Amino acid sequence: MVVVDVGSMVFRLRGGLELTCQLDSADGPSVQQTLSGAFKRLCAKVRSESLVFCIRNSPLLIWPNKGVHIIPDDVKESTPCKDIQQHIQAEENDSGKKSSKKKDRKSATTCVINLDLMMEVTEPSRLSATVLTRRNQKQHFVRMTLPMDCVASVQMEETIGVVSGLLVGALCDQLADMERMVLQHMKGTALLLPQPLHFLLPEPAGLVTVVYPAGVPDSRLELNRKELHSRFELPDDRPCFRRANAFHFPDEPYKDGYLRNPHTALNLPNMESAKPYVVQGVYSYHHYMQDHMDDNGWGCAYRSLQTICSWFQQQGYVDRDVPSHKEIQQALVDVGDKPAPFVGSRQWIGSIEVQAVLDKLLGVTSKILFVSQGSDLASKGRELATHFQTEGTPVMIGGGVLAHTILGVLWSETTGQIKFLILDPHYTGGEDLQVITDKGWCGWKGPEFWDQNAYYNMCLPQRPKTI
Amino acid sequence: MGRSYLVDDLVEKYLITLQSVDLPFVTGLLIGQIAVQKDYVVLAAQTPQREKEAENTVSNRSTAASSLDDIDIQWVSEHAKQVSQMLPGGLSVLGVFLIHPPELSKEAQNTLRRLLFAVEKLISKGRLWKITEDDVSERVMLQICSKTRKAICRTFDVMDPKSSAKPADWKYQSGVSGSWQALQCSVELDLEFPISETSANMDKCTKEGLQRWAKQIETSLCLINGKCLADNLDVTAGLKKNAKANQPKLQAQILIPAAMSGVEQRSTASVQTCGGVLTMKGVVHCRAYVYTSKPRARQAVEAIKRDVMNTVLCRTEMLFEDLLMNKGAVSGQQPLPLRVFAPVPGTALCVCDYMFPDEATADVKERFKEMLDCDIPEDSIDTSQEAPVEKQSDIHSEECMGNVTPESPAEATKREKSLRPYIGVAMAAGVALLAMAVSLLYLGD
Repeated sequence: MVVVDVGSMVFRLRGGLELTCQLDSADGPSVQQTLSGAFKRLCAKVRSESLVFCIRNSPLLIWPNKGVHIIPDDVKESTPCKDIQQHIQAEENDSGKKSSKKKDRKSATTCVINLDLMMEVTEPSRLSATVLTRRNQKQHFVRMTLPMDCVASVQMEETIGVVSGLLVGALCDQLADMERMVLQHMKGTALLLPQPLHFLLPEPAGLVTVVYPAGVPDSRLELNRKELHSRFELPDDRPCFRRANAFHFPDEPYKDGYLRNPHTALNLPNMESAKPYVVQGVYSYHHYMQDHMDDNGWGCAYRSLQTICSWFQQQGYVDRDVPSHKEIQQALVDVGDKPAPFVGSRQWIGSIEVQAVLDKLLGVTSKILFVSQGSDLASKGRELATHFQTEGTPVMIGGGVLAHTILGVLWSETTGQIKFLILDPHYTGGEDLQVITDKGWCGWKGPEFWDQNAYYNMCLPQRPKTI
Repeated sequence: MGRSYLVDDLVEKYLITLQSVDLPFVTGLLIGQIAVQKDYVVLAAQTPQREKEAENTVSNRSTAASSLDDIDIQWVSEHAKQVSQMLPGGLSVLGVFLIHPPELSKEAQNTLRRLLFAVEKLISKGRLWKITEDDVSERVMLQICSKTRKAICRTFDVMDPKSSAKPADWKYQSGVSGSWQALQCSVELDLEFPISETSANMDKCTKEGLQRWAKQIETSLCLINGKCLADNLDVTAGLKKNAKANQPKLQAQILIPAAMSGVEQRSTASVQTCGGVLTMKGVVHCRAYVYTSKPRARQAVEAIKRDVMNTVLCRTEMLFEDLLMNKGAVSGQQPLPLRVFAPVPGTALCVCDYMFPDEATADVKERFKEMLDCDIPEDSIDTSQEAPVEKQSDIHSEECMGNVTPESPAEATKREKSLRPYIGVAMAAGVALLAMAVSLLYLGD
């Protein structure tokens, strides 16, 4: 997953701006006028000399509207952005050495600089005595903290002065977007909070910020998305602007603890004239012994199914959480595939059951690909390559007593040579990327990986056509 | 070992002059800075005479007082409250003293203990900042026998109602009041408080609004002379060590983090029905002092931040008290009193006072004399730190204050001058009234 271009940096500015205003009546045009006035005042504040950016974990403070005043003063307006990194202290990380090693590797290519918004209240432009003013009128006092979240991507050589200017502009633009959103979804004096989200689109758009109304589900925002898809010329058969599609910044750990896309840490094996065809988007790695659930020896297909579900969730197709073993079993009982005592049992499931559960719980249909012996899998290169190209979903494969997840193939059309990118649900250890990739729990496997004499069923989930 | 008090010679001289005063006993306040290691005492001020009391004294002059019951604890505490409003950041009322004839020495300690707790209670009431673990809660009582001149110094932990007296070391030294480093800044206020539909609750609404604001100040980042200093750094490091006085003031800057607090919990704006809105706009000048023996940045920052909160609260209280006494209410525009500063003769420190628009520096001089027992020449009072109200200074006034009937500040603050609640005039007749006013103000607590 290429996050941002090599050689570029992302500046991310966050902070809450408090918007207050007084509404005299619930009458539409006057509310609109008052709100617009309040937004205008905030924009003026953002353009004022008192605006300060604080670079997180560093002593650096920037006054972007004060002729780009920076402290400490060895950093200048003309200092290139790449020099900022040396002022940032690494955040205390309690995870082991190994993972921090990985982090270093990552930060060499992509770099996110976090900034916090501040307002200086001293050094006012003019001295005027403090006055208490009272305005008596029955009215509604409106207060909301706007969660500003702006990004600017720049080349490493770009100066701090330029980035500061970009960020001030982004703040004002975001205020305007928020104003539009608030007015659009206003009902009487009920005002929805704006929620800015970033989406990483193919170049040249790159990181794009969209403001959604908080609390309004994706299902009711389809019109907004349609407009966005057409504005950015995106295919309209897959979600790009659902909340789940929001860009996940590389410096923010996932809170649920599951590893994302461990295969991205692997190197591609050498194979002449071969091309990789791999899963698109983001999935999480589900395997034995997670979620305080001892399923060692029987839960591998369940885990592979969970990995597939996580893909559909994180691509924005479904809202529902990844189902537990019990929920999977219940779904199979509900569709009449299994008798009631199946729930809570330790019975295996196979590809056909996975297909049924995906249909029942996610509304996702799947193709089944069958091979009567493992040695035949080597000849399925074209089918799998096509699957990863068009659908891009993880594939569950069951055969003999084992289930695996296929995340991609490295396949040569000319020689027919093939390697499989396997994610193994039988792993029982902790979420340590180093171990998982070094020991091959996630890795490229040759055709000999499969039991040559067992038959295999593959479940190939199909993307629903939706945005 | 108990706490030690480093006391300026001037305080000693002052206490000696008080010992020869022809009164049965004298109470007063000790003023200075509380630091981790020791406290610095720079000023002492006797409790002003109540007019009534003065008369009594005249008639009872021949008969020596037989009891300290005559000490009016409420009166002394009110004095302490008003004095603490005259102190810039870093300086506070450290405790009380009592000069008494030998026969009263036995009851003196108990009386002083009660005084100390009462004083602390009133001073800390309603204040906008929270004391921290590092704050010293020991306050001092100094008891001097007018005959033997023997002084006993004790401290009490005012946070612990059961605390008992601890011995403390009281040491005079010259020049304590001469070595102080000042910090200053001007803080811009732009606050809005919705007020409930009945105006009786206005103080409460304002108080709540100020508390919100004070939290921001408490969590703010404070720069000193344009630098963000580590907590333990000496703020005077790098400054040229001039001879004593005329040390340049350090400039403080306050940056408020635009916090995202509470953003995640809500999906809608908070909408509150109210009967009106109070706005507080303008600039207040703030100042704090730290003793120049290795003053650490953390202490300096805390002192200036607390001054910011104190001065805003104090002016608001003054305005509301003033309005209450005049049976008025905030209507239209009302200027908060301006802060003025004056150097205390013989020291490197300034004290401050607040002037309503209809007051002159002569009133301030008079109050300094009465509250601090300190003769400050009128022409040394610095009124330049805060500009008086500009006419129609508010940029947004047209936009959001459309319905305000513009009332000129002079008109709005027209009131009887004698009711300005300073102790000598108003208090003598009106302690009860003021007490009522104060309790009304804190109805919400």
